[in-house]
Amino acid sequence: MKKPDWNKLKEKLKKTDPKKLARDFLYGKPHGERRLGDLYEPKTGLYKHREWRGVKDTFYYFNNIWLYNYGMMVADIMKYGGLVTFAKGVWRYRWVGQSYLPVMHWFDRGLEGVRGEALRASAWHYRAMVNQTIEQFMRMFCADQNIGGSKALYDQTIAHDETVWGGVFYPYRDQLDDIPLQMIPYFVTCHVNNHTVLNYIDATQSLGLPGDPCPMCQAECGLMILDDEPDFYPAFITTNEACDGSVATSVIQDWMINKPLYAMPQPMQFDDPLVQEHCAKEIEGAFRFIEEQMGVEFHWSELVKHVEEQNELQRFEWEKWDVAANTSYYPITGTAQALYRIYQSQRGNRKIWHDTDKRVRKILEKCVEQKIDTFPLTRHRVIAWSCAPLYYSHWCTWAYNCWGLNCIINMDSLMFDMTIRTDTYDNMLLDFARYHEWAPMRRMAVGGLKHIFELWENMEKFHCDMVMMYDQLQCKGMQGVHGLFEDEFRARDIHAIWMPHALPDKRTVSREEIRRIINDYMFTVMQEEPLDPSLLEFDDSKSW
Amino acid sequence: MKKALKILAKIAAIGGAVYAALFAVFYFDLDGKAIFKFVEPTLVKHYDNMPRRDPLTRPYGEEPTNE
Repeated sequence: MKKPDWNKLKEKLKKTDPKKLARDFLYGKPHGERRLGDLYEPKTGLYKHREWRGVKDTFYYFNNIWLYNYGMMVADIMKYGGLVTFAKGVWRYRWVGQSYLPVMHWFDRGLEGVRGEALRASAWHYRAMVNQTIEQFMRMFCADQNIGGSKALYDQTIAHDETVWGGVFYPYRDQLDDIPLQMIPYFVTCHVNNHTVLNYIDATQSLGLPGDPCPMCQAECGLMILDDEPDFYPAFITTNEACDGSVATSVIQDWMINKPLYAMPQPMQFDDPLVQEHCAKEIEGAFRFIEEQMGVEFHWSELVKHVEEQNELQRFEWEKWDVAANTSYYPITGTAQALYRIYQSQRGNRKIWHDTDKRVRKILEKCVEQKIDTFPLTRHRVIAWSCAPLYYSHWCTWAYNCWGLNCIINMDSLMFDMTIRTDTYDNMLLDFARYHEWAPMRRMAVGGLKHIFELWENMEKFHCDMVMMYDQLQCKGMQGVHGLFEDEFRARDIHAIWMPHALPDKRTVSREEIRRIINDYMFTVMQEEPLDPSLLEFDDSKSW
Repeated sequence: MKKALKILAKIAAIGGAVYAALFAVFYFDLDGKAIFKFVEPTLVKHYDNMPRRDPLTRPYGEEPTNE
């Protein structure tokens, strides 16, 4: 063991200002003195120790986030099926055991450096997502025929592609539950622990399938190849998601699953009214498929109940956007905003979203009434556009801590910008079609130039002065408009940073490389100095 | 009364000790370190060595099984 250098320690003590030390202990170090990068262990991203945020916020984090969420995870598992079923699932499926155990580190990464009301509101978003993740995988396991699940539950569960909106099943919610095939085994895992997904991508490429299509499609396909998908449903609904790569995934899934399938495409040129009518008919076809395959009836009152509740969620989302756009009192981090919104709008109406929104509303109103500047060292208000790197969704937290780049809003949050009418069946159906057409990676990413360029009006609306332009290297759709964006950025004199990535695959562009690109832009183009230099360069190549 | 107080004090002391221990786990990221260094590698080893069905060898059209 190394002997302590007493002389050095004495020197250090002499230089220490006890008043400042006490202030830092009580309130935490001010932004700029925190040196958050020094907390990491090399490569793994584990903490030498978690951040000291001052007495109040550290104990809030410990009691109300860390302890509370560990406790609630156990409570959720008990509520949705029990520890035995959970243990069976963990033993059988890689994606649950490897991915979800380090979930508190997902909180840590997303909430680094965050204080006060922003810490509280953002953590509630994470809690809701964890609840929904547990509910879904427990339902899968309870009905899973691979691990001896209930046949009755199996018969009452329908599966669908993760980009089929959960609202399609509203008329039947009192008779069955819908679980996306890939949201939990693929999408959420990439955010929590990006190691797992690499197995599935490699499995697909090992067959000789090309490595250049979207790695999301490859990973979804790999789940089937590695026989790592629970068997919890008698039928499923698929869609072309965003691109042809995903159509190929559906073909392979159809072959491997070999169960009744209904394909419900999402049209690309959805502004055409004829397309709208066609899409409405496709949705009616899905209703008929569900009824035939699952032996259930269409309940209008059930549909209206869920749609009205979902509209309530949407109205609150608009209030949140209003505060985010016009004030500096918005208490939600860019990461929490993006993930919660896409999760909530895609999964459809669930009780936890209402509970969360109630809590967040209180915090939001407090911030507005008391004019609390939630991210006080904001230098630039950033809008993030196109599809984000799933393995680095918490770049927003890093960018604020390091450079004062505050990600106010992102493309995926803005997609489902509508309420749904319930006055007549026809109006409901047309709105369902519109909502379905505005799916993730569809409306703005490949929905035509007009929609891709909705960026400019949103920049203005949210008072942003900088764009973080996601550059998914394997997305042929967005690669095709790269040059058009370049031209527009120049013509409009907009500061934009291109962030290359490969959606779930961190091996193509590492997180360190992404940070380097942002650092270079901030030094050379913006001529700015970092708020926390310890965050400029660090190796987190092995981190979750 | 004294006995009750003693029991209460004991409960408080045990509760306090557990709380302090949990805080140490939290503060020094011992949960993260344990999962990263022991739990995840053990589970990965298990998943890597698991016998799995090979759906690619199943003839087209044949029903999948749960065995």
